Amino acid sequence: MFFMPKKPPKMYLEGVELIGVDYVGKMRRIVHRRGPVVGPYPEHVVGPYISQIGPYYNPNTRVLEYRIASSEHPDTVEVEDLVKENYGWDLFNEVMRYNQKCVKIARKESFDVIHCHDWITVQAGIELKKAKKRPLVFTVHSTEYDRTASIYPMDWIIDVEKRGIDEADVIITVSNYMKQQLIDRYNADEKKIVVIYNGIDLEKYANAEKMIGKKNILFLGRLTNQKGAYFFLHAAKIVLEKEKDVSFIIVGKGDQMPELINLAIELGIHDKVRFTGYIPEEQIPLAYAHCNAYVMPSITEPFGITALEAMATGTPLIVSKNAGVSETVKHCFKVDFWDTYEMANKIVSILRYPVLEKVMGENSKKEVVSFGWDKVAEQTLSTYGRFA
Amino acid sequence: MTSICFYFQVHQPMRLNKFSVFSENVPYFNEARNKEIFERVARKCYLPTNKIMLGLIDELGKDFKISYSMTGVFAEQCEKYSPETVESFKNLADTGNVEFLSETYYHSLAALFSEREFRDQVEKHQELINDYFGQKPKVFRNTEAMYSNHISELVESMGYKGIITEGHDYYLKWRSPNYLYKPPGNSKLKILLRNYKLSDDIGFRFSARWWEEYPLTAEKYASWLSKCEGNLINIFIDYETFGEHQWQDTGIFEFLRKMPHDVLKYDYLEFVTPSEVVDKYEPVGEFDVPHILSWADVQRDTSAWLENDMQRAAFEEMAKLEGKIDDKELLHTWRLLQTSDHFYYMCTKWFADGDVHKYFNPYDSPYDAFINYMNILQDVKKKVTSGNNEG
Repeated sequence: MFFMPKKPPKMYLEGVELIGVDYVGKMRRIVHRRGPVVGPYPEHVVGPYISQIGPYYNPNTRVLEYRIASSEHPDTVEVEDLVKENYGWDLFNEVMRYNQKCVKIARKESFDVIHCHDWITVQAGIELKKAKKRPLVFTVHSTEYDRTASIYPMDWIIDVEKRGIDEADVIITVSNYMKQQLIDRYNADEKKIVVIYNGIDLEKYANAEKMIGKKNILFLGRLTNQKGAYFFLHAAKIVLEKEKDVSFIIVGKGDQMPELINLAIELGIHDKVRFTGYIPEEQIPLAYAHCNAYVMPSITEPFGITALEAMATGTPLIVSKNAGVSETVKHCFKVDFWDTYEMANKIVSILRYPVLEKVMGENSKKEVVSFGWDKVAEQTLSTYGRFA
Repeated sequence: MTSICFYFQVHQPMRLNKFSVFSENVPYFNEARNKEIFERVARKCYLPTNKIMLGLIDELGKDFKISYSMTGVFAEQCEKYSPETVESFKNLADTGNVEFLSETYYHSLAALFSEREFRDQVEKHQELINDYFGQKPKVFRNTEAMYSNHISELVESMGYKGIITEGHDYYLKWRSPNYLYKPPGNSKLKILLRNYKLSDDIGFRFSARWWEEYPLTAEKYASWLSKCEGNLINIFIDYETFGEHQWQDTGIFEFLRKMPHDVLKYDYLEFVTPSEVVDKYEPVGEFDVPHILSWADVQRDTSAWLENDMQRAAFEEMAKLEGKIDDKELLHTWRLLQTSDHFYYMCTKWFADGDVHKYFNPYDSPYDAFINYMNILQDVKKKVTSGNNEG
């Protein structure tokens, strides 16, 4: 039985009972206003309300697109849609309501193990563990420190995480990097922690057709401090001193977008940078395949699944040493996120020596074959086995 | 009589500096690092091992003989960073029991791309051996024991009597490496084949606890040699085996000190040098090698240096500069960039397994090695074309 804030309408899994806690009939419309940063932002209507707990994007939100009009008029920025907030207005209460609802439903059921993912659900897990005397497994995909890059983390969320870490019988982390963080910052009991790396749906990426003769460098991720797009743009500036004919593609959306657009203008590289906003999931493999390299300059990254996705398409990867994924993959470049010169060195080299893309691409494709979800499932099952 | 021929390869590459696409006027070679590594290996290996060898010659007199091939790249660094090591090699040569072999000065793969370049580098090495040790080598060994019928012709045409290479099973078929062989046809060249099993017993397995023969004692090793078929056993290993690959605490030095004594307890075993071998024995058969073999890894081919497309691209780019450089110093630099190690660092074969190759690799990944090499090569190219190149 699987509780989620909202159940995707077309999602059915064999042997799994999916329970959406969002069976709310009422629709709400939210008008979201933002002060102008570069150009005037119009008032916008963002999607019908279903649940406010959709972590990073809401599929009902329209595709965002930011376009910089032209190099002649760097000050005009056309904005077609707005960045949507990650969370709802009153997150605290929303999460409380969700957890209470989960507990209410689950109390009537019988089960062997409770498995919670991240802080949003763990309070329900703790309560159920006590009420039903069942072991609690807590997977930490990211902490509040990660999501905020340690800039104004919310204390009450950290408290929830800490409680989950203390109460859980087993903690699963997605990397050793994350494991260490839980030990250092949350005083977690090392013996309770199991590392299970993330996986990807290999088939989705392996067949994306590589574009020939392109000169594009990709950033893909939420536009927040954590993901380090700021460093990507600074590296782009340096690259463009050596290689004129390159485009830098920024896929994703987030709070930082206006700031990043400004930065591109300040650096004088706005005509070489394209912000695509959110792109539908099925287009993501193509985004990798249309680029010469995927750069992941995260300041902090518990794992970094997109790194595996890029590798699966055979796109050379330049990954931050601070990403959990970099402790387990080999056929890529590893850089410090702040070392924009080194990042640029690698990007220029990939563009200049095409054989790199070929060799690294072939080898990375081979390497990620071992990162299927089946392996993750196996390891998770054997973790449950501890309580059998 | 069974002759035992010990030969040691002595080499240290000149490791490159970090060189990015933005680097300008950065020296290509990493002086500090090369110095540090050289001094360390001299302390751990060259000096103590040479001392043991001198001691053995002292004790056993004419009965103990060994041979070396020392690269020019090694010699240059040795003079700079450890002159006492140069002296100790000269002392060894002075005993008359120690022979030095020929090879390419730059420990390069020149034989794979240019006959002319190959000859130039071998001649430069001949001068070095003559200057240092007053010897004129009769036996040749190519970089990484790379060998083919073609290379044998080249080497014979330069006046050599013998060549050393790997006793590769694929070409030996059912035959034993413990005899002299010759190339097919009318060639008079004699081929000494490495007994890889007995060589690797010391070089790789000496301290391997998983090995059923662990621990390897001098007595046991001598008894294996005594039971070998054939009339010639060639034990060819890296000199750095002593104290660097196999650390002092493995007991490798005690082994080395004792083993020659234990060998000579068998009155039908003797130590010989490669030039004595070619004088003493006649070939028993032909060793026909149409494709290039080497002494590296399981494959024993060129794949450690020239397998993936990065390695080949880098090698081709380097080779393209042949004949275009007039400036003496730049020519020397270009040749230093031919040292096989630079291509070895770009090898992706075993990279994911994180094995033994990693220990010797100064780069984070083969891709970093490739970028760095290419960036330096581009810089050299720029100098060649910008006329910073007059003799």
